[in-house]
Amino acid sequence: MLKYLMKRSGIYLIMIFLTTSAGYFLAVSSLKPAVLEQEKIPRPTPEQVAASFRGLGLDPDLSPWERYIQWLWGIVTRWDWGRSPNGGYVNAEFADRVLVSTRLFIASIILTLIIGVALGVYSAARQYKVQDRVITSYSYLVHILPAPIAYFLVQLGAISINEAVGQRIFFVTGISTPGIEPGWPAFVDLVAHYAVPTFAMTIFGWAGYQIAQRQYLLDNVNADFVRTARAKGLTRNQAIRKHALRVSFIPVAQSIAFTIPAIFTGGFFAEAIFAWPGIGLWSIQSIGLQDVNVATATLAYGSVIFAIGAILADFATTLVDPRVRVQ
Amino acid sequence: MTNIIDPIAELDESRVADQDVVIGKSRIIFRRFMRNRTAVAGLFIFLALFLFSIFGGFLTQWDKDTLDPLNIGMPPSPDHLLGTTQAGIDLMALIVDGTRTSILIGLIVGGLSVLISAVYGCTMAFFGGKVDATMLFILEALIMMPAILVVAVATSGSGGLKNLPSWLLLVVVLLFFSWMGTARLVRSLSMSLMQRDYVKAAKYMGVPSRRIVWRHLVPNIGSLLVLDFTRGITGAILAEVAFSFIGIGIKVPDVSLGVLIGQATGQVSSFPWMFWVPLTVMFLLTGSLAMMNDGLRDAFDPSSSSIGRAKTKTAKAAK
Repeated sequence: MLKYLMKRSGIYLIMIFLTTSAGYFLAVSSLKPAVLEQEKIPRPTPEQVAASFRGLGLDPDLSPWERYIQWLWGIVTRWDWGRSPNGGYVNAEFADRVLVSTRLFIASIILTLIIGVALGVYSAARQYKVQDRVITSYSYLVHILPAPIAYFLVQLGAISINEAVGQRIFFVTGISTPGIEPGWPAFVDLVAHYAVPTFAMTIFGWAGYQIAQRQYLLDNVNADFVRTARAKGLTRNQAIRKHALRVSFIPVAQSIAFTIPAIFTGGFFAEAIFAWPGIGLWSIQSIGLQDVNVATATLAYGSVIFAIGAILADFATTLVDPRVRVQ
Repeated sequence: MTNIIDPIAELDESRVADQDVVIGKSRIIFRRFMRNRTAVAGLFIFLALFLFSIFGGFLTQWDKDTLDPLNIGMPPSPDHLLGTTQAGIDLMALIVDGTRTSILIGLIVGGLSVLISAVYGCTMAFFGGKVDATMLFILEALIMMPAILVVAVATSGSGGLKNLPSWLLLVVVLLFFSWMGTARLVRSLSMSLMQRDYVKAAKYMGVPSRRIVWRHLVPNIGSLLVLDFTRGITGAILAEVAFSFIGIGIKVPDVSLGVLIGQATGQVSSFPWMFWVPLTVMFLLTGSLAMMNDGLRDAFDPSSSSIGRAKTKTAKAAK
């Protein structure tokens, strides 16, 4: 098992290297920070711009290939992911941003998975009854609602609750109030900031899991081995729980790998709408500022997150699927 | 699974002699689809929106480049059926244009990505071995890349890509990142189908590969592909709206539903029609596709409930 995981990790490392390199070339050839420098007052001469960028390792006169080598050499030898056009170090800011994002997502990722799978099982066991119809049509409704608009509507709702009560219960943007006292007030403030984004991401996140789990369970409910189990005297619920559920969870477990980058993508929208200074917001803003190194670093981070998800999914599959034996 | 599909396949084989298989099948599919009221309603809404996006310009005498200085930021009125923007542009004209862009993006991305994923997936399953491993590697590497960042880089860069109109650029990038999931599904489905007894039997009987693909693989993955076509359209439309909403993706002067919704978010309370009208159109568009999905799946799925449902319907009618 360990050997298998090592091998998978090795393959993913190569993939991460390739996607990051491809991302770097795309970024370097389409993002031109020098254009933005022209809008500064007083306007710097092209020579000044080139000189200041050269000092940051962003020399616009070098070819993409030379810059790539320079950038890669920095990472390999010094683990230095380069600098922004404004002089900031990518490494210094990266850890903070990742921490903010992780704090924002972790609760909703877990809640989404648990609620989604539970509702999927519940609705499959009550197929075509009122509960099933309500839950499943809700999930389909969420499917046709783009994440940022959904978050925006939740934000509008939270604002109108605040207005109705006449007091600021929920904070719809930001991560914490500056200058809050530590202890109980800080905790209340934290919850007030977390509540809206986590709520929004959770209620619009579980739909995919619910539909998938319901579908796969229904596919298996009428399978031969479930019928055999029922013929042996198990009740319908027992047969579903002991035989159909486990098999039906396999594809859901595999799909987790593919939803993790989707959560990351949803995270861009959540961070953009709720103004959380996490990695998603950072990458979007930095691309707006034509920042090659930050864009590449966040792209690499996305690939790493995906690789971790995929390895976890492999692991989960071997756990639940009796037919998979890893050599 | 095998015992469910087999009778259909046998039925197909027995019909080969009469040479009416294709017509028969498409008629069955059509009837099954028409039986599903929701799906038919969805189809009509979608067609209505499609026609609206092409001929909607005749409903208003304004176009999206003309300012009406007498009506700036006015709510819906007889003069401007859906109101005007802060700049005094007729919202109806903008909506017509935006709907057209969104449908166009959806159709191109949805259609082409299904084609790519079907060909790619089947190629992987068919050749297996080294070809399969290499193609899977490329596919997974592409899944790995966060598409949103590539969209952002491609559409906000000031490099050579700027020469393309922004909607075409978005179509290319969306297409590039939309086919991998289905290709994987097609691969695993056709691999498992190739292991089925009836495919093996056909192989040993000397039925040519092309015939096996057409007779056994296509009907079985067909429902997946058709479903993925409508889902791909929905996905592309939603992705466009989402990206344009946070300011990456389609850029002014190109108009799309996402751009219209995104522009209006700042003033939902003062200009509500500017937000709710494009949002409703987007809902109708994606909703109609979602309504069609279920009917299409029933119609194209060789196994599953659609046959059962047909029986219960006729049983009810008999009563």
